[in-house]
Amino acid sequence: MGPLFVNEIISENTNLFLAFIIGIGFGFVLEVNGFSSSRRLAGMFYGYDTTVLKVFFTAAIVGALGLLFLSLFNWIDLSYIYINPAYMYSAIGGGVVMGAGFIMGGYCPGTSFCAASIGKLDALAFIGGMFIGILIFTEGYPLWEDFYNARFLGSPLLSSILGMSRGVFTFLIVLVALGMFWVGEWSEKKFARDDYKLNQK
Amino acid sequence: MNARLILATAVIPLGLIIAAVPENTTKPYKLTAEQLLEEVKSGTQYLQTEEVADLVISKDPTLQLIDIRPVDEFEKFSLPGAINIPLVDILSSDWEETINQDVKMNVFYSNGTNDANQAWMITRQLGYRNNYVLQGGVNYWAETIMNPEVPPTTSANEEMAKYDLRKGAGMALGGAAEITQPAAAVATGGVKPPIQKKQTKRKVAGGC
Repeated sequence: MGPLFVNEIISENTNLFLAFIIGIGFGFVLEVNGFSSSRRLAGMFYGYDTTVLKVFFTAAIVGALGLLFLSLFNWIDLSYIYINPAYMYSAIGGGVVMGAGFIMGGYCPGTSFCAASIGKLDALAFIGGMFIGILIFTEGYPLWEDFYNARFLGSPLLSSILGMSRGVFTFLIVLVALGMFWVGEWSEKKFARDDYKLNQK
Repeated sequence: MNARLILATAVIPLGLIIAAVPENTTKPYKLTAEQLLEEVKSGTQYLQTEEVADLVISKDPTLQLIDIRPVDEFEKFSLPGAINIPLVDILSSDWEETINQDVKMNVFYSNGTNDANQAWMITRQLGYRNNYVLQGGVNYWAETIMNPEVPPTTSANEEMAKYDLRKGAGMALGGAAEITQPAAAVATGGVKPPIQKKQTKRKVAGGC
């Protein structure tokens, strides 16, 4: 039966409305997890706070399991799920640029809006920087167009590249995630800082 | 018990279950038999040769002619700008993006109406939209657009207007409207249609 919108079970406007509700939910989860503090994201890099890893990895495995179970019960057609097309070089280049920006700014695009909404000035500065970046990218597009489009890989799935079923691959990811949570908590103790308390209010 | 253990006890069994069950690859049909029958009865999938000729001449970018005949017949003769998806390959995943989309207007054609109609019915049952059938197929196209028959002089005005339209379309498409030459249709067949690049839909991609 799903996706609801594709199969015309709900209208386009209902679809947008649901997206709005989910968006608020996403912002709420970011905020209650303290992502509106720039030290959280930076802590991921320095190892004293790995909440980001835990939240997003949990979201990924819950989402993956949920989708596969919905598909198992015939409630969703996975072939309708949009998968980001992969461009090898721009994925690597973009990852480096974004990653450096995350460490320096202490936000990712989502959390910066979250923090700006509770009045953080550094988040506003981050959003300003983001728009400058977007401007440079779009205005200079002819310069990096070739790089941007190089090595187009389509929409590959790791599971099919590795030649295993989606279910087995998801199970491995679940194990990897749990392992990473353990590593994360070890790192929080190892790189703990005197001036930083985890889960501060 | 800390949060990590609670999470682990929940997701590890679920992960094991999902790893053990086979993948669900069934493609459910999207239309009920009654809905399909309604569409077949109203015949909304049919396009007349004149309508299609008009779109071809005006180079309408949304038109995508799809030849569902076998490759050898396609190579002998095809309509301008058509791509070839033989009926047996209609469910191939290579073509899914072409026939399941909401940008272009796909028009299936075969020699007659039947094969194209079968292709339309299969795709329609899968819930695909924007697929149509050229009524009468290539045969009727050659008859009405390439070599339109001159109506008797006693015909009604509409008949004459229709003939003029067909004649004009035929001439624009390199047919033999003025001097009826059976060879003309074959001559146009020599030109290979350009291979159309597959359209990849690009949607707004989200980030974190």
